[in-house]
Amino acid sequence: MNSHQPVNIIMIEDDEGHARLIEKNIRRAGISNDIRHFSDGTSALDYLEEAPDGPTHNGPALILLDLNLPDMSGADILGRIKAEGNPLKRTPIVVLTTTDDKIEIQRCYDLGCNVYITKPVNYENFAAAIRQLGLFLSVIQVPDLPEANG
Amino acid sequence: MRLSLKNVAVPDAWFNRLVIGAITLGFLALLTTGLTAYHSVQENQFHSSRVNHTFVVERAITDFLAAMDRAEAGRRGYLLTGVAAHAETYHDARKRLFPLLARIRDLTRDNPRQQANVARLIALTRSDLPFMDQSVALVRSGQRDEGVRQFRNSVGRRAITVLRAQATVMTDEENRLLAIRDAATTGSIRLFYVTVAVAGMMLVMVGAGSIWVILGYTRSLTASRDALRLLNADLEGAVRERTADLQRANEEIQRFAYIVSHDLRSPLVNVMGFTSELEGAARTLRALLDKVDAEAPHLADGDARMAVNEDLPEAIGFIRTSTEKMDRLINAILRLSREGRRPITPEKLDMNALFRSVGDSHRHQLDGKEIDFSVAHKLPSIVTDRLAIEQILGNLVENAIKYMAPGRRGRIEIRGRIENQRAIFEIADNGRGVDPKDHERIFDLFRRSGVQDQPGEGIGLAHTRALAYRLGGTISIDSELGRGATFRINLPVASTAEQEA
Repeated sequence: MNSHQPVNIIMIEDDEGHARLIEKNIRRAGISNDIRHFSDGTSALDYLEEAPDGPTHNGPALILLDLNLPDMSGADILGRIKAEGNPLKRTPIVVLTTTDDKIEIQRCYDLGCNVYITKPVNYENFAAAIRQLGLFLSVIQVPDLPEANG
Repeated sequence: MRLSLKNVAVPDAWFNRLVIGAITLGFLALLTTGLTAYHSVQENQFHSSRVNHTFVVERAITDFLAAMDRAEAGRRGYLLTGVAAHAETYHDARKRLFPLLARIRDLTRDNPRQQANVARLIALTRSDLPFMDQSVALVRSGQRDEGVRQFRNSVGRRAITVLRAQATVMTDEENRLLAIRDAATTGSIRLFYVTVAVAGMMLVMVGAGSIWVILGYTRSLTASRDALRLLNADLEGAVRERTADLQRANEEIQRFAYIVSHDLRSPLVNVMGFTSELEGAARTLRALLDKVDAEAPHLADGDARMAVNEDLPEAIGFIRTSTEKMDRLINAILRLSREGRRPITPEKLDMNALFRSVGDSHRHQLDGKEIDFSVAHKLPSIVTDRLAIEQILGNLVENAIKYMAPGRRGRIEIRGRIENQRAIFEIADNGRGVDPKDHERIFDLFRRSGVQDQPGEGIGLAHTRALAYRLGGTISIDSELGRGATFRINLPVASTAEQEA
């Protein structure tokens, strides 16, 4: 983790229940980073790209992304962020979704997703997966801001 | 583009009959015309011969009159000159008179009027001739003056005049007949011409009709041939189109099932997640209650204890089993839809080996329940998708093991044969069987039959049937309650890989 700037976790998840469960389990894993939750793609993109306190202008981030969003597909957001020229290109994205379709998983990795996790219906597994993600987050290295590089 | 034979003008059966009828009628008319023509020619010939006959009769009458004149001339010459040559002339002509009269009588035998006339003529001739003979005889015997005197009495001359008049009557009668016969001849000739004209017209009509019909037939034949050619050319296209439609519809269903199952899963994650959270909270409450019981038992009443110790765990338990069941159902739908999306890769399969491996993978259960598992020798080999067939056979064998009848030694028999290019495999058991009214129902998703004492969601047979359909086959059951069941799989000997749209 970056030493001088805390990593913000940006969660794009339309299901409030899922968001709450994910947050609870991340906290249980001992991660205290700021978590910002967006339940639709438009406001999430707006925050990511425009907000003064958003990752483009302020500090490194890690994105938790659900694929089924009401206004757009998570894959669209993934493609947009990972597109060549986007300042957030190197921001790690963890796709966390219910879909375990092989084709969908392949597509996400092709678009540049860093980790793909299927939400298990079984809660014990779900909680375990999120806690492990928390452990993963505690050791992950996030690249510096584009401004810092430039 | 879709074509149908409906647009092509093919004459109906009644039209065919009409055409055949018209042609038959035409030829019948022609035949009638021919017969009529023949008849009128015959008639004409008959009338001509009658006309001819009239001329012959007239000629005979003229001959008779000429002979009579000659006889009279000979008599008169003899009376005047007494030269014997005139007497010769008289006798010559006189000899011919009666034969000529007989001839006239013979010729007019069919005409009673002429017969009467002839009879009168003969009578006149008979009465006149003795006077003539007498005058000739008087001259020959030298009494010439007596002969001349008698001639002056004009007996002979009167006779000749009457005779001539009588002959004229006869000639007139013949002329009258001639006129009638001429008219008849003309009539029959006219009839002949009319007949020929009608025949010609009919021939032209029949010919035109035939040409019209033939042209019509040729046109419709050409049209149907063209339409057929188009249809043929389009048939493959139509089949391709239909197949594509079906594939699209199938894909639509698969996609639908897939989306539904995923969207159903999402709320389920919440239900199960928060149930677990609830359970955690209930555990905390219980710890608190235990602590209260230990330190200040009067604080907790019976309701609180009931809620924490029984109501909460019970509610959580029901929510949990229900959501777990729902999860299994959703997973079943997902598996079915996923199976439908998996491409089929046909390969040659040794069915004996396949059934043996299915038996081996269930060996533990077979031995545990003491079931005899036998596979017939030399099952037919087929070309099909290995994974699909393994799942079908595995499901059926598992079912047979699962639903054995208690109290009798289990037996599972595998048989197979080829029938009309189809491979038929039978998995027969002596288990509890299936009520015939449930034979279709058991293949429906989430439907089961009989005593519900075995775990299961009613997915296996639905899945099996879907797989069999996918391989171009069918699956059916033959069973009665308590008498075991025989599942019959009917598969193409060689199934082809589906063409993806």
